[in-house]
Amino acid sequence: MNRTKRWVATLVAASVSYAGMLQSAQAGLVGTAQVAEAQGVVSVDTRAAEQRARVLSLLDRADVAAGLQEHGLSADQARERVAALTDAEVEQLAHTIDTAPAGADSFLGVLVFIFVLLLVTDILGLTKVFPFTRSVR
Amino acid sequence: MILSGPGASRRRGRGPRAGSPSFTARGRTLAVPRLAGLALAAALLGPLGGCALLQTPPQTRALLAAPPADLPPRAERVDTPFFPQTDYECGPAALATALGAAGIDVRPEALTEQVYLPARRGSLQLEMLAAARRRGALAVRLPGTLDALLRELAAGRPVVVLQNLSLPIAPRWHYAVLVGYDLAAHELLLRSGTTERQVLGLTPFEHTWARGGHWAFVAVPPGELPASASEDEVTAASVAFERVAEPAAALRAYEAALARWPGNLTLAIGVGNSRYAAGDVAGAADAFEAAARRHDSAAAWINLAELRLQQGRHDAAEAAARQAVARGAAEPGFVDAAAATLAKVLGAPR
Repeated sequence: MNRTKRWVATLVAASVSYAGMLQSAQAGLVGTAQVAEAQGVVSVDTRAAEQRARVLSLLDRADVAAGLQEHGLSADQARERVAALTDAEVEQLAHTIDTAPAGADSFLGVLVFIFVLLLVTDILGLTKVFPFTRSVR
Repeated sequence: MILSGPGASRRRGRGPRAGSPSFTARGRTLAVPRLAGLALAAALLGPLGGCALLQTPPQTRALLAAPPADLPPRAERVDTPFFPQTDYECGPAALATALGAAGIDVRPEALTEQVYLPARRGSLQLEMLAAARRRGALAVRLPGTLDALLRELAAGRPVVVLQNLSLPIAPRWHYAVLVGYDLAAHELLLRSGTTERQVLGLTPFEHTWARGGHWAFVAVPPGELPASASEDEVTAASVAFERVAEPAAALRAYEAALARWPGNLTLAIGVGNSRYAAGDVAGAADAFEAAARRHDSAAAWINLAELRLQQGRHDAAEAAARQAVARGAAEPGFVDAAAATLAKVLGAPR
């Protein structure tokens, strides 16, 4: 699973770096994103550049495709979705996929307790889990 | 955290699926007397910190204590479309709702493959923004204040929010769309899940929204600007939009933003780049020249030099390239690009 996440993260980061490279190649103009970065509006990790060269070979790998499939994505869909993200967003995404909580089963033995807790917190207006509760305030 | 969508809790396998039919059925039998609930709550919450938990949350308190005078007492965008969510797909449903209100007709099903992650049974916040851009809307994050949300609603602009409907120990992430409010009644109106017009108190909303990280965005047609978004957020949204948008649409977004923040270099460069991408070389050169003169920016000088060269105006190109090189000490990031541009200009056949 972690291996899959790593691949997806790498793929995502590399794809976008590649897309960015294509964009900035036009006519020798400085891209708006580059100016935005210089202005501090967005920050982009420079390590993204190192991953550019790996993108094409990555996309062709069977285990990468399988990893994407495991996430319910086809490689083509992934490419399109990734192309819509900015470099900074890709960096965040890669971070998220790596660090998203993987499970907390220890809590789940107290399911009934949580249910009751949520019911009363609903009524107190702290939460809104149940459609039929109405906050007292 | 960036992870969102109801998947976070469902992914834990046997997690508390509070919205599932069995729970609802059990809830009805338990939900009866409010006083009993209060007593139980006091017993349960007392040890956790008691009174602090039961106070009206800070933003709601401040808002109700002193409602901004320029805010109408109520607002509702009644023609906002409604797409009842299926399964865990609140992300696509919320996005389709917001896009529909912005004049972009799209069904949630068409968005699913752009935002939904089946293995997580949810949608990432980043992808919500990206998918809105792909559909031709500028997706702008709002400041995490109730005031900002209400100002958008007063302007007739629905707001997509991320809520954690449950408690942090067993999160239930949920995207919903605010469509209105009623300050006198202390209520917000939402398109949420399978409820077409949810009436939710400010207090429960603020609690659930705070646990979602106060995350909210609006989707606006390019050329419109949100009422409350910051200059940085609009700039970032416009730059991200340029990546996927038609040049003409990106240009509309940049021009509107530059009109509001005329001193913003990034926006000025964006106007030039999108004019160029749309095929308007002369207009792009004008934009770069204005930016170069106003900001003495290396990037603007470089782009101006490139376009003057394309126009066959070699002297003007050389002058601009030399200005770019002269900015080397102040803007080291553009030294190489400036030198390359000057070399290109000098080497070009006259």
